[in-house]
Amino acid sequence: MSIMDHNGGSVIAMVGKECVAIASDLRLGNQALGISSNFQRIFPVTDRIYYGLPGLATDVTTLRDRIRFRVNMYTIKEEREIAPETFAHLVSSTLYERRFGPYFIEPVMAGLTKTPTGGYKPFIAATDLIGCLNFAKDFVVAGTASTKLYGVAEGLWEPDLEPEDLFETISQTLMNAVDRDAFSGWGCVVHVITKDKVITRTLKGRMD
Amino acid sequence: MSQQPTQQAFNPYTENGGTILAIAGADFSVIAGDTRQSEGYSIQTRYAPKVFRLTDKATLAVNGFAADGNMFVKKVRQRLEWYRHAHAKDMPIRAIARLIQTMLYARRFFPYYVYNILGGIEEDGTGAVYSFDPVGSYEREACRAAGAAQSLVQPFLDNQIYFKNQTPAPGTSFPRHLPLTTVLPLVIDSFTSATERHIEVGDGLEIYVVLAKNSTSLQSLLNMRGVQELTATNDGERVFVIRKDLKRD
Repeated sequence: MSIMDHNGGSVIAMVGKECVAIASDLRLGNQALGISSNFQRIFPVTDRIYYGLPGLATDVTTLRDRIRFRVNMYTIKEEREIAPETFAHLVSSTLYERRFGPYFIEPVMAGLTKTPTGGYKPFIAATDLIGCLNFAKDFVVAGTASTKLYGVAEGLWEPDLEPEDLFETISQTLMNAVDRDAFSGWGCVVHVITKDKVITRTLKGRMD
Repeated sequence: MSQQPTQQAFNPYTENGGTILAIAGADFSVIAGDTRQSEGYSIQTRYAPKVFRLTDKATLAVNGFAADGNMFVKKVRQRLEWYRHAHAKDMPIRAIARLIQTMLYARRFFPYYVYNILGGIEEDGTGAVYSFDPVGSYEREACRAAGAAQSLVQPFLDNQIYFKNQTPAPGTSFPRHLPLTTVLPLVIDSFTSATERHIEVGDGLEIYVVLAKNSTSLQSLLNMRGVQELTATNDGERVFVIRKDLKRD
């Protein structure tokens, strides 16, 4: 079995109308043995950027700390908040630095970009474990349930969903995908990022 | 040159990709499969049927190793013909299901490398889907996906057919069987989604629809474009096929 599947877990992000959503399951396992049903792998960067780190749990902690350090250094030097696109490239270069001894993580990012006119544009991205960026226009997935997530998301997602509809779409996609994956599940957490607030909900899921 | 022994090996199996899917309704059954046949990254043909009409009340979809699949269908059809000669009627679907189990298990130690899904009409007139593993373990269900894109399609079906992770509005309940007008778009959506994300799925789609005697779904089916009837007997059950294009990339 791959190191990527050792602890299990999956993350998905979706674009909506002037909003984005990012969601993850809450399982931490050791191969087939469940260890925790409250393992958070989605973290905030700014008020309008969240990212998730599915993969090897020890690297989740390390990578979160390294990314926090680099974002803090950026904020101090630039004296402004980091933009989602810039953050995606920061994550990418942090991973590519370890090209030949990678962190076993496939990050998923979601945020709102400020436009010159003062509006907000949804932004999502994902990378592989060595930082190859994927800027998708609809949704991105990663983790042990990724194939299932692709199938359900491809069937349920549609353009220009309002925040509440986007919440329902991403939640249904995640829950039904992880229910067919032995390494993901045990509850979910969903964040919907809108221009003036972030809605965070913890979902009760199947516990088998 | 140093003389060393070299190991030679013959692998009798290949994986030929593709996906199949079946959904049972109250008085009908839908059995579908894509028509792409591939080996590794190469497409061998864009039209190799995986779904076969067995009788007017039973249709079989086979997925996995195509050579084994075709041979298996040939053998099942032969057994059904012998049954017809002996009993002067078509074998009921639950008997076909048990026959398939014994035929698969007979090859327990050199299996047919195929996943089978049998769809059709039960003797009591209800829609039925039976799914099998390669060595004959089987189960009757309301819906099942198998093959290369099983992992993409099955969770979508859990959600849309079984209403998993959904709660009915207070005082209401979810239907146990969906109407044909809901099922057909779900089948098409499943295959277009699988085609979008899986390289081994695409080219064409064949949807077989088996209707029970006096099925209420007949009119809505006949209203669809490009429906072809394949019924051979006057027993009352009717078989139709709908052919559609899928993306070829």
